[in-house]
Amino acid sequence: MFRQSRDMAVHYLNVRCRVKGYWKYFLNKLGWFLITFVFAFLLNFILPRLMPGDPVAAIVSRLAQGMSNASGVQAIYQQYADLFGTNKPMLEQFFLYMRNVVHGDFGLSFSQYPRPVSEVLKASIGWTIALQFPAIIVGWLIGNTLGALAAYLKGSFDKILMPVSIFISNLPQFGMAVILLVVFAVNLKWFPTSGGYGFDLLPSFTWPFIWSVITHYQLPFWSIVLIAIGGQAIGMRSMAIYELNADYVKYSRFMGIKDRKIIGYVFRNAMLPQITGLALSIGTMVGGALVAEIIFSYPGLGTTLLNGVMGQDYPLISASTLIITVMVLTANFLLEILYGIIDPRIKAAQAD
Amino acid sequence: MKRSSLVFSLLVVLSMLLAACQPAATPTQAPAEPAATEVQATEAPATEPAATEAPADANALPRNETLYFNGQQWGAVACWNPYSSSCNNALGIAQQDNARVTMFETPYLYNMLDGKVYPLLADGPYTWNDAQTELTFKIKAAAKWSDGTPVTAEDVAYTWASHVKYNTPTGSGNKDYIDTIEAVDPQTVVIKAKLDADGKAVNPLIVGAYVSTNYVIQKAWTETLEARAGGDAAKFLADTAEDVVYSGPYHKFFADETKVVFVRDDNYWGQDASMWGKLPAPKYLAHTIFKDNAAGFTALKAGEVDVSQQFNANIQDLWLKDNLPISTYLPDAPYGIGASLPTAFFNLKSNGLDNVNIRKAIAMAVDYDTIIANAMTNQSATFTQVPRSLMNPTAGEQAMYDHDTVKDLQWAGKDYEGAKALLDEAGAKDTDGDGWREYNGKKLSYVATCPNGWSDWQAAIEVVAAAGKEIGIEITTNYPEWSVYQTVVTKSDAPLPEGYDIFMMWSDGAGPTQPWSRIRKLMSSEFNGMASNWNGNWGQYANPAADEIIKAIPGETDPAKLKEMYTELVKIYLTDVPSFTLMYRPQSFHAVNESVWTNFPHDGDGTNPPVPPLDLTDGWSIAGLYNLTLVK
Repeated sequence: MFRQSRDMAVHYLNVRCRVKGYWKYFLNKLGWFLITFVFAFLLNFILPRLMPGDPVAAIVSRLAQGMSNASGVQAIYQQYADLFGTNKPMLEQFFLYMRNVVHGDFGLSFSQYPRPVSEVLKASIGWTIALQFPAIIVGWLIGNTLGALAAYLKGSFDKILMPVSIFISNLPQFGMAVILLVVFAVNLKWFPTSGGYGFDLLPSFTWPFIWSVITHYQLPFWSIVLIAIGGQAIGMRSMAIYELNADYVKYSRFMGIKDRKIIGYVFRNAMLPQITGLALSIGTMVGGALVAEIIFSYPGLGTTLLNGVMGQDYPLISASTLIITVMVLTANFLLEILYGIIDPRIKAAQAD
Repeated sequence: MKRSSLVFSLLVVLSMLLAACQPAATPTQAPAEPAATEVQATEAPATEPAATEAPADANALPRNETLYFNGQQWGAVACWNPYSSSCNNALGIAQQDNARVTMFETPYLYNMLDGKVYPLLADGPYTWNDAQTELTFKIKAAAKWSDGTPVTAEDVAYTWASHVKYNTPTGSGNKDYIDTIEAVDPQTVVIKAKLDADGKAVNPLIVGAYVSTNYVIQKAWTETLEARAGGDAAKFLADTAEDVVYSGPYHKFFADETKVVFVRDDNYWGQDASMWGKLPAPKYLAHTIFKDNAAGFTALKAGEVDVSQQFNANIQDLWLKDNLPISTYLPDAPYGIGASLPTAFFNLKSNGLDNVNIRKAIAMAVDYDTIIANAMTNQSATFTQVPRSLMNPTAGEQAMYDHDTVKDLQWAGKDYEGAKALLDEAGAKDTDGDGWREYNGKKLSYVATCPNGWSDWQAAIEVVAAAGKEIGIEITTNYPEWSVYQTVVTKSDAPLPEGYDIFMMWSDGAGPTQPWSRIRKLMSSEFNGMASNWNGNWGQYANPAADEIIKAIPGETDPAKLKEMYTELVKIYLTDVPSFTLMYRPQSFHAVNESVWTNFPHDGDGTNPPVPPLDLTDGWSIAGLYNLTLVK
């Protein structure tokens, strides 16, 4: 009886300690999350505005073509400088920006004026996510599977896979995209060369349109996936090889534990760093697949953002980088929380 | 081993399925189809792209009813507001020398080939009063808005009043020259010019140009817009105007991030016998949004573009080597009609560039033939064919000055000996033996520049820099980003900073105020001192004699007198060399693929008045839309 209650007390204390340790860990991570966020938010605002050049002048240049008097251009310039607030002190601009962002208002885009930034992002973000998310997941899944198999099977599979992976993963993405374009679109004509769907179609819930979207999707998709596979496979292979030679594997083998079970352990351990990579690439995917978008004239945020940077579109740049910041930080945060749960070593190290 | 390969192949198939069904997740698209079709999607890539095999349906644009463009629309359309100049609505809105009249219409259409204007909304030619202070024209009785109401003089007057009230680019650009626009009766419009101290019109040339460069916008719709904006000028201009009333033959059908499509209004008033007498041939005008020239070029070759308004390098290869049914306005080089003069400006305050002999020496040493062959792939007339002046290569402008008077001032280019002699004469000699000349005790060393990524200009600037080496002047190149470049060169209230000794900018093209406006923007000192100078004379040249002639030309009507004045200006320009033209460039690039449509404007096509090669959308070139026929 006594012993039992003592056991229970010890158990309770253990659990409490664990929970307390976890809370500490959680709060610590949350604190860092918030601090990073504040600094990132500040940088998102300041950095674009430190670029040399004057965005209002760029807008005026579009408006002033064909205007034949001198004072008129000045008046227009003044009007837009007032509208965008670029003639106000930086600090005042910052507070205005912060107030608007809290209300979910990112302001008007400079480069696509008079479209609001939220509309510009809304129009492109679907395309970007639909292209990037599956590409990242598929590339990650195939790459890691191949890497793990190479490490486990060794032999000729590894001997072929490794050089091919290294070769492919080191191709620049535009090189891969251009090769796919020339081979499959221009020469073989299996796929269309450009656009998100047929040049003679309008969006609708019909089979020709859906089929067109699918065919237009393939080349940009594979141009991202193929590169990703190579990199992931190489990473996974070395992680898995390292784990396969770890003491616990040898010990398990010695103990006569089944191969399948051991592979399971190895896989789980080798996976950790790969999951970090996955979370980060999902976090940054909103930045867009710039290269694929340009080469296949595929719609998406990459080129929108590039034009924004070229046109010094502060509101658009700040909004996109803010989204990316939030996504990366959140992905990272969730990951660390998750790690704390699945890998006690990390929490223990942090809690000390 | 067996098991793992099974797992592997399962994984691969799974991921492919994922890949195939994912695009359906985008918001503009429909949910995924059943699994069977997805498998088909990944297994059947060997078939042709869907577009070609899909049966015609309501959501497809029939190929033989659609005219496709490229090179005009970059990025999504922002709005449909004819008062705004920032709608990025290339097929719909461009109030310029050759106004785009697909959706909105001007009273007159300018024809860059004969320099005349032809009535569109207007009825018959406009007339000036004797004092040249009042311009009168009538509105066609047949002209109607898309809502069926007639276009009236009151619409014209109200459009102008709104431009002024809301300080639009049109308003602020013209109010120094136009006093009022009044409706005398429902059909008659009178434009009253601003008068100077002597009671003469400040600039009758610009007043006259108003009627072919600016749209007539419906009064009733403008009032709706005003109510919506609540009197706020910024809101007035930023309105997306999806409900806009128009008078032109086309209007919005569809627009997203990938394309914009216009559809014909089959009730268009212009089918009245007093105008075109029929509807334009294509039912749809469509423009795919390409991300760069390369993608647009591929589509042109594939027959997915009918009218190409982008620079396609070595365009002749398309028909000479690839045997494609693609052609340009002229069958041989320069393939198009040059209209503007991309120009290298001198910073007249740089050491040595304040000396006319050094400026002229640099201009003489440049190898223009190489620029035209490389940068423009011969899509520009050479300076042997069209000697340099302030005029563009069109016959009309060439006839406006006396070639013989300025013959001795011409230079051919690549004239190293002549340039060296000029430099010696200027006292710029290599005194320290380092191979570079000195002037005022300082080495002649310049930076030639243009915006980064403007590849044809960069190629031209490289040739300019190479010329320096031949005559002992060190010229290096530098290519800042456009966002920086434009801020620097348009700041004319201070001397240009270091790094901008020789720099490229554009000139006006063809239009109703040309060549006067182009010359003004190349030479007039009235822009010096402007903090944001988007007009011209970026090298900040000042010559009172030239200013005086530029000021006098708009009020002059005697052709002989005008020719004298223009000749004098060319003489001053070629003597002082404040800047120098590097090539001729067409108003719009214009290449057509005749696999679906044919009868496009070509040189000597027999049209009268001739239809200019301006993509069948700008000014009188819209007449070309009525001449198109299908190949089969």
